[in-house]
Amino acid sequence: MKSLIALACAFALPGIALAADHGPVFSYATPVNSQRELSFDTGIFGRSGSNGAQLSTGSSIGYGLTPHITVNAFLPATFGSGSLQESRIVSGSEWTAGASWRFLHSVTSVGKRIESTASLGVVVPGPQRDSGVLGSLHRAPGIAGSLAAGLASRSKYLWIGGGYTRFAEASDDRRPDTLSWSGVYGYRPAKLRRGYNQWDYRGFAELTGEHTGSVLKSGMILQNSSTTTLWLGPSVLAIFKNIAISGGVQAPVFRDASESIYGREHLRFAINFSYLKYSSHTSSH
Amino acid sequence: MKKMIATAFFVLLPLAAHAEYEQVNLTVFGMDCAPCAHAIHVSMKGIEGVNTVEVELNTGLVTIKLAPGNRASMKQFNQAVEKNGFTHKDAEVIVRGRLAGTANAPVLEVSGTSDRYALSPMVGSLDIVSLLGKTVTISGVIPQAPKGKVSDTLRYKTITEVR
Repeated sequence: MKSLIALACAFALPGIALAADHGPVFSYATPVNSQRELSFDTGIFGRSGSNGAQLSTGSSIGYGLTPHITVNAFLPATFGSGSLQESRIVSGSEWTAGASWRFLHSVTSVGKRIESTASLGVVVPGPQRDSGVLGSLHRAPGIAGSLAAGLASRSKYLWIGGGYTRFAEASDDRRPDTLSWSGVYGYRPAKLRRGYNQWDYRGFAELTGEHTGSVLKSGMILQNSSTTTLWLGPSVLAIFKNIAISGGVQAPVFRDASESIYGREHLRFAINFSYLKYSSHTSSH
Repeated sequence: MKKMIATAFFVLLPLAAHAEYEQVNLTVFGMDCAPCAHAIHVSMKGIEGVNTVEVELNTGLVTIKLAPGNRASMKQFNQAVEKNGFTHKDAEVIVRGRLAGTANAPVLEVSGTSDRYALSPMVGSLDIVSLLGKTVTISGVIPQAPKGKVSDTLRYKTITEVR
């Protein structure tokens, strides 16, 4: 019941995250919805490690209130029993809702934009429990904020971003705070810079990192529960008009995480499908 | 009196019927991908009176052709661009309207809309005194205006009387 109330509050708040519905699959990016545009996303996210695998599916809906403010909500479902560390880059079992504000938006030439987007939202524990250490914790809602900036053009994309999530305590337990960051470079070859009636492809190299704080269990810090990891991998995005399909994989390039607590995570992947419903509404004269 | 009203009605009717945008070409800034172009296409097609819309991603050129008798306004084209998070440069237009004002300060009134433009020549100056009060077709450029605004100037290349 608490979760339901919190979720209702979250929907009422002008607050959250994930800005991109047709950008990179792992990284922070700046695009927001057009005014009155509805976006529907559904995806599969996988994490595989020595302690097992975790598969999540998630669906999100976004709505453009203005050309620069989008409200959105994300509802995941998880499967599997991988005892893995906290991650905000790959979705877990938390429901989120909030808003993204593209506060800087410079469009001064054909096919090019420089922009920055901030997101703020509420993260609410879903009905499913995590596995492993995190699964044994009492759960409470948290707040997530992120900031992304970068360039989009017909040939190149470059975005950097970072986010922070902090959970509240519940019965002397607390999920770890998470600091996430990402850098992504995208490229569309000249041959693929085609008309909008044809499939549009672009490739990305995505570098993501996360530092998760210590787990608080029964009022005590769980030793060695803090982690730092860095992930790198390619992703591809294909778009036809208002439909987008993207997929990518990542492997760890740096890992500082207790194997006895979390095992050894060695692969992440994501596949996402987006449908964008644009509004044809304009005012009369 | 009735005859005068009827005469005035039949004289003015064709002026209103023939006053409209025929074509608008916008160079839109910021479109990088297919959904951007699709969004512009959908928004422009949503404007009543728009016949066809072509969007060229690599040049940013959006070509809008309108049906005869339409009442679309420049503000609507601007909104269609801005609500998708883009801006556009000058707008090239072919528009019909009534030439009003004076020889020194001619004005184009696009009937059926509140659009009204002070005219200035792009190159040289044409003798338009004989066209004052008549319905004309003008091709020219409406300069880029600040966001949410429509320029009140039309720089014309050609003016021809509609017969």
